Amino acid sequence: MKCRSFLLFAVGLTASALVQAGATEDLARTCNNCHGMNGVSVGPTMPSIAGQSESHLKTLMLQWKSGERYSATMGRLIKGYSDEQIAALAIHFSKLPWTPVVQHANAATLAKGKAATDHCETCHGKTGGEPDDADIPRLNGQWAEYLELELMKYREDDVKMPHKKMRKNAKKIEEGDITAITRFFAAQPK
Amino acid sequence: MSINRRDFIKTLATTSVVFPLSARSALASRSSSAKAQVVVIGGGYGGATAAKYIKHLDSAIEVTLIEKQATYTSCPLSNEVISGEREISTLQVGYDGLRKQGIHVLIDEVAGVDPARKKVTTQHGKTLSYDALVMSPGIAFDYAGVEGYSRELADGSLPHAWKAGPQTLALKKQLEAMRDGGTFIIAVPKGPFRCPPGPYERAAQVANYLTHHGKAKSKVILLDANDSFSKKGLFEQAWARQYPGMIEWVAGKDDGRVVKVDAKSKTAFTTFNDHKADVLNLIPPHHAGAIAKATGLTNEKGWCSVDMLTMESTVHKDIYVVGDSCVHGDLPVYAAPKSAHSASTQAKAAASAIVAKLNGLPAPEPFFVNTCYSITAPGWGFSVVHVYKVVDGKLVYVKEAGGVSPVKMESEAALKLQRRLEAEYANGWIKNIMADAFA
Repeated sequence: MKCRSFLLFAVGLTASALVQAGATEDLARTCNNCHGMNGVSVGPTMPSIAGQSESHLKTLMLQWKSGERYSATMGRLIKGYSDEQIAALAIHFSKLPWTPVVQHANAATLAKGKAATDHCETCHGKTGGEPDDADIPRLNGQWAEYLELELMKYREDDVKMPHKKMRKNAKKIEEGDITAITRFFAAQPK
Repeated sequence: MSINRRDFIKTLATTSVVFPLSARSALASRSSSAKAQVVVIGGGYGGATAAKYIKHLDSAIEVTLIEKQATYTSCPLSNEVISGEREISTLQVGYDGLRKQGIHVLIDEVAGVDPARKKVTTQHGKTLSYDALVMSPGIAFDYAGVEGYSRELADGSLPHAWKAGPQTLALKKQLEAMRDGGTFIIAVPKGPFRCPPGPYERAAQVANYLTHHGKAKSKVILLDANDSFSKKGLFEQAWARQYPGMIEWVAGKDDGRVVKVDAKSKTAFTTFNDHKADVLNLIPPHHAGAIAKATGLTNEKGWCSVDMLTMESTVHKDIYVVGDSCVHGDLPVYAAPKSAHSASTQAKAAASAIVAKLNGLPAPEPFFVNTCYSITAPGWGFSVVHVYKVVDGKLVYVKEAGGVSPVKMESEAALKLQRRLEAEYANGWIKNIMADAFA
């Protein structure tokens, strides 16, 4: 059965598109080193990227490339990729399933986190798993440590972060709530 | 819709517009009784990643990985073990992950490779035939390169700890036993060597231990055969901020090259001076792993030249060399550094090239990147990035990308954030790259 679907698939594509698909697979494999096999991270400070929206992934990469968005490492990497490669990578990872890595937290932390997510809910959804816009990342089952580091960037005025609303809301969060908020989202399976 | 490599190959093979008949018939003629055989020598980052991805791309290929030790210890981040910031167990992994994916893992040592008959023999008396061989033996130390040094001393009172494992722990013990006011000497060989920023990160980690264990009067001296080093501005900044006055670097042109040691008195001799140490950490010169040399794959400098696009040896067909053993890139400044990350992307490119070739298909375009983090203190890390691309059939270092982390930033707050992020990223990176190779 599997073979038949490849044949059907092949009919709909040109030869160059097939070569492109293979090249993108090869290119995407270089992302695994840091972001995990097929974009699902096993390292708590590195985000999973599989299953984030195409628009979000592409916007991030293009903003790093242009220097519009601060990054510690990715900007230097992504400058080596063409806009076409960036677009292909965004499509590639967006088509993989979002795989939440559910990290357990105690009830008190979860309750504190939930109570403090008012600023996040409108855009990311109650559990962080239902963004209201294609440009907004999923947070449910994302690594808590990574989310904390990302918030640090948004809360720091001296590095360039492009999203005004996100910057504003990140700064509204009480320092003491950050851990609870990130643990809350990290613990959500959906 | 996403297709994996195996599917991609099948798709190509059934699409008449893309490849000539010979390619398709080569694939069609493959039967289960004549499976292609790939042997991988060496189970470090390069070998493990190659084995895993070959199997992943084409599960019909029989992949056998031969490795001496049942447990691998990662060199990256092992300097943190010396300072006590990290447990060595966090850097160790076995081969069950690969076995579960259908890869044959032999804990054995290769006795010889016959490139003409395409056979590998092992110390335990096994003979394996291969259609393609991945050579990833890491490095071999040239003990005779420094007078007075030997393998026995490396395993005894003068551990180099440039291959992570028991020597890493032995060096840690020596550091812990060192008196306050003592001198810790690190002797750096002439490049190219494994892990270009490693000695300078080690100096920082040693200073980190000394500073926080009541031994702040001690000194760390780098006696270097080279006149410059990787991430120099970043290291010098970190040393000055975190360990002011503690770390001294002596360049090769300033008589930094160690030519002789006396193990008993722990003295390192340069051409004109002698340096008495409390702990003497001599990193001996090294070159490609012994089996690469014995197979005739090494050049006059002791490293293996490869086709930059496929990683195939320029000496013997069907042997692909990845990782620290190879020279990847034709100019010293643009060559891929000897790092785990380089080894990993080289292994993936070799895997794609091998699977394509065994299926009668042309080699796909390879992609190579390198990211290498160094940590000088808790929460203080930085990196170097390299990106390569193929232009007109040649591998080119992309100058507009890559480079080292910024030395200066907008403000002290921004600088601290940058260093903190990269120190944290290193911790995530190690987990992902280990899983990418071994899980």
